[in-house]
Amino acid sequence: MTSLAGLSCPGCGSSNIVDDDLYSQAQLVCADCGFVVSEGVLADEPVRGLDISYSRTTAVTKRPCVNLIRGLERVKEISRILRLRGEVEDLALTYFKQAYEHESFIRVSLQRKEVLAGCCVLVSCRQLNWPITVGTVGCLLNADPTLVGGVYQEMLKVLNVEAPTVNITDVIEAHCQEYKISSSDVPEEFAEESKDLTKRAVALVELAADSWIVTGRRPLPIMMAAVYLAWQSLKPLKHRLSFSLDKFCQLAKVQKHKPAVTRITELKEALCKLGKEIPWVGESVTPGNVVQQVGDILEHRYALLRRALRTHEDAMQAECRSSSVNPPSEEMVSSQISERVAQTASSVEQLPLSNEGGKQAVEEHSQEFEPNWGKRVLFAPPCVSHAKRRRVEQPTPDVTGDEEISDSEIDSYIRSPREVREFSQTQKILASSSGGKSQ
Amino acid sequence: MEVQQQRQQQQQQVQTNVCSASICRNVISSVKLSCRLDLDFITRTAWNTEYKPERFRALIMRIREPRTTANIYQSGSLVCTGARSIDESHRAARRFARILQKLGFPVSFQNFKIHNMVVSCNTFPVVLEALNLVYHQHCSYEPELFPALFFKMVPGITAIVFVQGKLILSGAKSPAEVSEALQVIYPVLRRFMKH
Repeated sequence: MTSLAGLSCPGCGSSNIVDDDLYSQAQLVCADCGFVVSEGVLADEPVRGLDISYSRTTAVTKRPCVNLIRGLERVKEISRILRLRGEVEDLALTYFKQAYEHESFIRVSLQRKEVLAGCCVLVSCRQLNWPITVGTVGCLLNADPTLVGGVYQEMLKVLNVEAPTVNITDVIEAHCQEYKISSSDVPEEFAEESKDLTKRAVALVELAADSWIVTGRRPLPIMMAAVYLAWQSLKPLKHRLSFSLDKFCQLAKVQKHKPAVTRITELKEALCKLGKEIPWVGESVTPGNVVQQVGDILEHRYALLRRALRTHEDAMQAECRSSSVNPPSEEMVSSQISERVAQTASSVEQLPLSNEGGKQAVEEHSQEFEPNWGKRVLFAPPCVSHAKRRRVEQPTPDVTGDEEISDSEIDSYIRSPREVREFSQTQKILASSSGGKSQ
Repeated sequence: MEVQQQRQQQQQQVQTNVCSASICRNVISSVKLSCRLDLDFITRTAWNTEYKPERFRALIMRIREPRTTANIYQSGSLVCTGARSIDESHRAARRFARILQKLGFPVSFQNFKIHNMVVSCNTFPVVLEALNLVYHQHCSYEPELFPALFFKMVPGITAIVFVQGKLILSGAKSPAEVSEALQVIYPVLRRFMKH
């Protein structure tokens, strides 16, 4: 018991107040009459809680934060839904604990903390070769993929870890499972075994990857296009070929992705380029009838690719020979010149070319980068083959930065005294009217 | 051997020409005007200004020639963005300073400094997946989020590489830095050019 100066007992007025900490709750008691002075202290405690936030108190070390516990549970839930291996789940939990306690994530919204849980699962899946996409995580969290992406990038910086990008051919197997087109789900004429469908779709995705269709694009529409074409080509009968992508998605109970339509067109174009080389196909192969040949094309893919490249090379050489024999028409020359001028006019500076070798190298270089480069090779990124028409670049003006500034130019940016008065009056009117409306 | 040397020289020449064919898209610079500014007064007396202190502490002023924007702070700092070259940025910053001088502030043009240059150039189609695999410690490639690859091999400079070969360099403070960065990045990209 310790004696406290300055306090007086409300009962007898004695100043002999002692701090009695013998029992579980320390009390201030008058030693003379036994009046418990500290009862009044309890009533003075703040109603709304402490002034100091939870994260700065010592309670943090005694009991973990509720949101941390909730976040860890969420990580476990997501791992269970995805049926992840134990080590993946453990790694995700470790990452979540580390990231949660960092200043970038300790005081963010609950939604962001939940997204962090998903991102920890994502990074551990990637590191332990478990194929999963950002879209899947976004779907599970019911969060915008952009938000998931932002939190993911921040988390990688905070944890200072790396994660390999997922390969589309690894993900497609899991993606194919989503399509409900087994014989138990749909009529027999539309049903397809998951194994066969996956195998065909994987081959189509590999072909797409070789044809520049995959690079830089979102994987989901490409996978959808591959599954759709795989399904059609496994039994290319009339009732399947007449099914649009919309109808197929309704049948398989998946949500359609609009870009998949463009991917289907691009895949069909790539298939046509190879299909044309099949020696036993008499009729010409077009996007309308290429689906029937998909099986043969995929089976003999590499041989057909070699033939197609040889045919394309022969065609290019024949074109070059014919253009050298017949000089290009004026229109062609002027269009080529205007293309080159448009390219070079936008350069900041041009180095003088002193030797023939240099000139040849630049010609070779500019040939590679010509606007119609995509049409000169067999496979090119679609954005190169069907390049958008860009507006002609305005040449950068030749300025030194120290030119004279005319007064009239500056005066055009300054209000006259009358304009200033009118502007101030208008602002006051607007402020008062918005103030009146809010009342 | 001689043919190999000639080929190497030609490739270096091509590299130099690629570097010289880059286009500056944006220059961000700052200047100290060495006097405190009354932003409310500037909003009232100048056209083309925006000032909402509850949202952003600086005043935003725009001029037509060169087409640029300035963030003007009460302390007298001015940040100029939107110019297409260093000289244009300098010219624009002087115009902003002149406008403030005409409004009656005793400005002086000190410590003009370039903070960032955004430069673009066209190269060749690049296999981004292979580049990401080989240089994984310098790359960030998430096709689900953004179609390009972020390549951070040169300290302080970020290169955004698109599949069609468009390259955007950001973070350089001078054309020399841009050139040096391209000298490093171009040979790397060349390895991942698909034939």
